[in-house]
Amino acid sequence: MRDFLWLAWGSIAAHRLRSALTMLGIVIGIASVILLTSLGEGTRLAILSEFTQFGTNLMAVRRGRIQTTGVPGALGATVRKLTIEDAEALRRVEGVEDVVPIATGTARVEAGERGRGVVVYGVTSEVPRVWRFEVGQGRFLPSGDPRRGAPLAVLGPTLKRELFGQANALGEHVRIGGRRFLVIGVMAPKGQFLGLDIDDSAYVPVASAQSLFNADELQGIDILFSAGVPAAAVKKRVRRALILRHEGQEDFTVFTQTEMLDVLNRVLGVVTLAVGGIGAISLLVGAIGILTMMWISVGERTAEIGLVRAIGASRAQVVRLFLVEAALLSLAGGTVGLLAGIGAGWLLRLAVPALPLRTAPEFIAAALAVSLAVGLSAGVLPARRAAALDPVEALRAD
Amino acid sequence: MSFRDLLAYSAGALRGHRLRAGLSLLGVAIGIASVVLLTSLGEGARTYVTGEFASLGSNLLIVTPGKTETTGMAPLVSVAPHDLTLGDVEAIARRVRQVRRVAPLSFGAAPAAVGARRRDITVAGTTAEFQGVRHVHIGVGRYLPAGDLERGGPVCVIGAKIQQELFAGENPLGEIVRLGDERFRVVGVMAPRGLSIGLDLDEMVHIPVVRALKLFNRAGLFRLLIEVGSHEEIPAAKKAVIEVLRARHEGQEDFTILTQDSVLSTFGRILALLTAALAGIAAISLTVAGVGIMNVMLVSVSERTREIGLLKALGVTKRQVVAVFLVEAAILSAAGGAAGLVVAFAATRTFTAVYPGFPIEPPTWAVAAAAVVSVSVGLLFGTLPARHAARLEPVAALARR
Repeated sequence: MRDFLWLAWGSIAAHRLRSALTMLGIVIGIASVILLTSLGEGTRLAILSEFTQFGTNLMAVRRGRIQTTGVPGALGATVRKLTIEDAEALRRVEGVEDVVPIATGTARVEAGERGRGVVVYGVTSEVPRVWRFEVGQGRFLPSGDPRRGAPLAVLGPTLKRELFGQANALGEHVRIGGRRFLVIGVMAPKGQFLGLDIDDSAYVPVASAQSLFNADELQGIDILFSAGVPAAAVKKRVRRALILRHEGQEDFTVFTQTEMLDVLNRVLGVVTLAVGGIGAISLLVGAIGILTMMWISVGERTAEIGLVRAIGASRAQVVRLFLVEAALLSLAGGTVGLLAGIGAGWLLRLAVPALPLRTAPEFIAAALAVSLAVGLSAGVLPARRAAALDPVEALRAD
Repeated sequence: MSFRDLLAYSAGALRGHRLRAGLSLLGVAIGIASVVLLTSLGEGARTYVTGEFASLGSNLLIVTPGKTETTGMAPLVSVAPHDLTLGDVEAIARRVRQVRRVAPLSFGAAPAAVGARRRDITVAGTTAEFQGVRHVHIGVGRYLPAGDLERGGPVCVIGAKIQQELFAGENPLGEIVRLGDERFRVVGVMAPRGLSIGLDLDEMVHIPVVRALKLFNRAGLFRLLIEVGSHEEIPAAKKAVIEVLRARHEGQEDFTILTQDSVLSTFGRILALLTAALAGIAAISLTVAGVGIMNVMLVSVSERTREIGLLKALGVTKRQVVAVFLVEAAILSAAGGAAGLVVAFAATRTFTAVYPGFPIEPPTWAVAAAAVVSVSVGLLFGTLPARHAARLEPVAALARR
């Protein structure tokens, strides 16, 4: 094998420009596939971390039934509604730790002369635990009977800044939808969630939100379940408890965070695969380049092949010689391409620091394996052409 | 040497190495075919989406309750301090001059039953105006009767798929459908429409809007669809609607007005960007194909050293030698481009035959660009080998074995 590598290297080195250009095709192909899949993988991880910032043993109940995947309850109403009573009943389900009934709407929040239209969340005291939100100043909504409202509000940091600037907001009053609320807390910054600024919002007791929006129903119920309990078991019990309360109708959808993450993972995986696949077209063209050059090389080296055969090399050995040469070319191209792809990603990162980019180790292994395979399969035809040469005829060739 | 001689000479040289020429050409063909195919798919998607929106009419305003200043998109949640009410609908119809039709929309899901057959159904509460606004075609019977907004009989119009599932193809006219706890008489069936963006009318039941509000125990509407006389009147109508609604909502602008234009241009931009990105990625393969052509041409120059020496000795100028090899490279890549276009056309034809609902066709500009690009790839990557050839010293070249 060492001899084969040495011979192959010799013939590659003899035609430097030609070999370099042949390799360049593979370099471009591997580099673009590596760059694209790194981008895809980075995006996937970035989105996953956006979701897991809310915790993973989370379960959501939404109104309306959706069989296919999608956003349930995004449209309109249902005949039977999700109520605060439903949420309270779920507290007694085994494995459920915390329950947050949610009634949201958009309303104008005003303080003095300033006002701003934001999303107002009607929730309960459990939010910091269930959504893993932290309070920056003051405290969150007090616990107590969720059916009773209170004129208390907690502001998101963006909203607080817009309304009060640097001044203290605690103990001040804001008007939400024309009613007065006492500010008792400001949340710690949490950032964006899928493009929506979650810091630009206000939290009020769920019953207050319902009367504000003149609605007696909830948009949904979020559930935190115990870490040790399997999600499927809790989900089953939650469904059973709600169906019982809804007179046998399953007019709601329960989904766990894990299920949602699975769907997202699958979708993003397919997108990455598709984009990487389109990028791989150049790899195919690069392989054709190797095939062409090896074919030419066999034609040029007819006399040499005849000599090798005449001194006793078998056909299999000739085949192997050319296969090794093709594989070497392609593997070298793949290695350079890998470095170029990672380097280009690094440069991109310098230009756009926010760009999610991650080159998984398995991508690197796959890139090298693919380039080796590309070389071997591109080498098959020329190698067989070389082996098929008749030694006597070949020796006589010019 | 005339241009025709040049062509003939280069074509002859290529014919001498059929396989080699074929392989170099194949690279360009693959590149061009994939770029053209991807742009066709992207363009097809864009045409499809714009067509779907245009079928809603370009003179439509959509009012949704709630407003957020942060996202600028339609609000996620359909609750706001002031509901959009039937009173708002009447006020707009009466006070905004440009309005031709206003259709209120209330949405929800309800269990529906006919005899023993039951399923969950999307129920839309609206008025007779909706038929005109959304161009609803009626299969049998008629649409919701016109009449007082605040009153509506217990009648319903069902989608084609609902008819199949609840009535199993029997005549549903005059029959009773139970929605929740209420009974509705079927007065019409909507003609099947197939896939459509937004509302799938085939799987829907329409009832008078007051009945829907009662069924779902709601005061507020999900949406208002406003059709104005012509596209030019949209800005004026939008302003007038804002004024009327603000006056009714205690001076607050707690609603959002969308026009088809804004939705359409956003969609169009996103799809165009996506198409460009994918086509760009595919175009990388053209570079690789170009490198392949360059390589083959370099080999060809070194093989034909003696021939070039002879040409030069006969008095052919450097410029002409360059032309010979450039033309050869251009022929290679142009032929590859032509082959790629043929493949792309065949593939789109097949695709359209398999999915007649989503016709795709290579856009004219993409075809023209493919032709130009494939020739330029040859010229660009042929330059180096051609100059290589031109620089050869005639005497030394002739002396080479």
